[in-house]
Amino acid sequence: MPEVKEVLISIRNMTVSYETRLGAVSAVDGVSFDIFRGEILGLVGESGCGKSTLGKGLMRLMPSQGSVHGEIFFGDQDILKFTDDQMRDFRGRRISMIFQDPMTSLNPVQRIDEHLIEAIQVHEPQTNKMKALDRVKKLIERMGIQSNRLSSYPHQLSGGMRQRVMISLGLVLNASLIVADEATTSLDVIVEAKLVDEIKKIRNDFGVSILMITHNIALVANIADRLAVMYAGRMAEIGPIEQLFANPLHPYTQGLLACVPSIEIKDNENLYKMPGEPPNLTHPPSGCRFHPRCPYVMPVCKELDPKLVEGVPDQFVNCWLYQEQPVVNNPESR
Amino acid sequence: MKEIPQHPEIQLPKGDSVPQWQLDLDKAGWLRRALLARKWYGGDWWFVVISAIILLFFIVIGALPKWFAPYDPRAEVGPSLLAPGEPPAAFVFLTRSDSPVKEFKEVASSENNVGFVVASPASQALREALDELNAEEERQNTGIRYQPRPRRFDTIEEGLKALEDGEIDAFIEASATAKSIIGKYKTLKIADTLREAAIRGFTLGTNQIGQDIFSRLIWGTRIALMVGLSSALLSIMFGVPLGLVSAFSGGWLDRTLTLIMDALYSFPGLILAIAIAAVLGPSIMNIIISISVLYIPTYFRIVRGQVLSIREELYVDAARSLGAKKITILWKYIFPNVIPSIVIIFSVNVADAILTEAGLSFIGLGLPPDVPDWGIDLARGQDYVRRAWWLITFPGLMVTMVTLAFSMLGESLSEIMNPRLAEL
Repeated sequence: MPEVKEVLISIRNMTVSYETRLGAVSAVDGVSFDIFRGEILGLVGESGCGKSTLGKGLMRLMPSQGSVHGEIFFGDQDILKFTDDQMRDFRGRRISMIFQDPMTSLNPVQRIDEHLIEAIQVHEPQTNKMKALDRVKKLIERMGIQSNRLSSYPHQLSGGMRQRVMISLGLVLNASLIVADEATTSLDVIVEAKLVDEIKKIRNDFGVSILMITHNIALVANIADRLAVMYAGRMAEIGPIEQLFANPLHPYTQGLLACVPSIEIKDNENLYKMPGEPPNLTHPPSGCRFHPRCPYVMPVCKELDPKLVEGVPDQFVNCWLYQEQPVVNNPESR
Repeated sequence: MKEIPQHPEIQLPKGDSVPQWQLDLDKAGWLRRALLARKWYGGDWWFVVISAIILLFFIVIGALPKWFAPYDPRAEVGPSLLAPGEPPAAFVFLTRSDSPVKEFKEVASSENNVGFVVASPASQALREALDELNAEEERQNTGIRYQPRPRRFDTIEEGLKALEDGEIDAFIEASATAKSIIGKYKTLKIADTLREAAIRGFTLGTNQIGQDIFSRLIWGTRIALMVGLSSALLSIMFGVPLGLVSAFSGGWLDRTLTLIMDALYSFPGLILAIAIAAVLGPSIMNIIISISVLYIPTYFRIVRGQVLSIREELYVDAARSLGAKKITILWKYIFPNVIPSIVIIFSVNVADAILTEAGLSFIGLGLPPDVPDWGIDLARGQDYVRRAWWLITFPGLMVTMVTLAFSMLGESLSEIMNPRLAEL
């Protein structure tokens, strides 16, 4: 991590809502955070908490019934104010995305080189094919794929190779942010470990930022510089990874970390299970959305929404426990 | 692009296991695919070879019917209902014993009466003999025209009785029959041979008006291929783009198009084709149009369904996340994945179109009646099923073969075009 953090993208009050028959549902509700240049930011949370929606919202890749509000500043431009054409040019060139399933995220009837060359030509139509091919060859060899595999079809590559091709699709245009949406979920642990290693290397070499959306907290602990925890469409906590693991502030983060299975066998100890279910986002709970499941719930939690504030230096938390409220219970004393 | 610092840790494996010529071959694209085709099919390569041979056969005879057809398909070239390979019988003419007539042309002037049994090959023999005589006179420019009055009798006995009574001057009969019956009539004699027995018959026989079936089949290939292929292509030209656009854009356009196509689809196929053909009138172009209208909804529905499912695939999302234009996504990501289904419907569709065309011609709404066409031949032949099996067997066989060949072709093509099956 560089000492001076340069903000790459700052997201302010971002809301992604879907029009449904039951009314508007905000899958992401008023989220604000920054992504720094060259960092790996882990984004974790339960299923359905809005992680993937956040990732897609960053690229405005919503289905037609979804809409993104708020402000997303990339440099000094608000990408939510882009026209469709500007947005199309922005995608891929500045932010690219890697998807969950590497098996289906490449067009089965296009060869690998066609994918990569097309990615270049979409954004730089003046580049001729031979030059593009040279670039592609250099890059793909840097990614550890032999350049003679370029003429293969996606089904002829392994899952790890395809995922690397997907990453190359972002890198070939020098994207500054890669959104990896559960990019390693469907890979086996060995390939996953390799890929994680490579992602780190790519970050170091290319200086890209990576937003790693995942369920796998252990993986994130290994790779990320900072960790963001989402709950029910809100940002619960965000902070540097060591600090956050050592001292989780938000009760939800505490519970989430307690849920992570350990490889040590302890016969007498059951895995911690967080009580309750994640809320239905069509009718979110009043006040703090976590209050029905929170062990430290206070009267104020049911009434008012907390804000994301800096609990301890660099670590932001969205909880009344760390805001101007009488301290009912000191979490550190537990 | 900025300079990428070379990473020392990534070691490139040396790919020397693949020989250079194979790597060169890899760059050849479609050629390589063709060369590898044998491999894709494993033990089934003969399947492709057979379908290719059959289709090539049909295409060649469809393209060059003149080289293969021995006769004009529209002309009456022989006696009617001649079995395959059966040579036309010899014909003789009978006169009274006291008649001085030696040659047929002596009784062939317009004052003479010539008798024969009604609806027998004898009329054909008479016509041929007269044609020959007239042609000869015309060559010598004599101005003589032979045109005896034809008298038709229900049975041979009635005819010979009339000949005995002097009502007619000559009676024409097949030579075998004449020889067996002449003994009963003392006053009559076999005067001369009207037509010699032919050495060779017609390969596949003749139909009820004496046209050569073999020639008609060959000329019919051209019509069948033309109607089948162009109507299928016409349906593709309309159905596929509409399906692509409709599914991809969605909204009111999709709803409207789907409604129209479902309305078309809900008609029973042949009824709709009959209606359109009846309005447009019989001609080859019109029948192509009416058949293609029939199949547009099929393509539309298949393509639309495919696009709806492919649109949700991850690689389309991935393409969007790379900033690809909508038209690029449609053309490069969705359309190529739809092609295999189009090819399969196409092959079934060509065969089906040939059958529909035959059906339309069958009820008289298809092609003009003098066109050599398998459908028309089948329709006419069905009246003679018990007497002349060859009338419907051979056109039916041709329809079956073409259908089979196109189905096999479709299956082969769909495999060739599927890169997933191309192993390296």
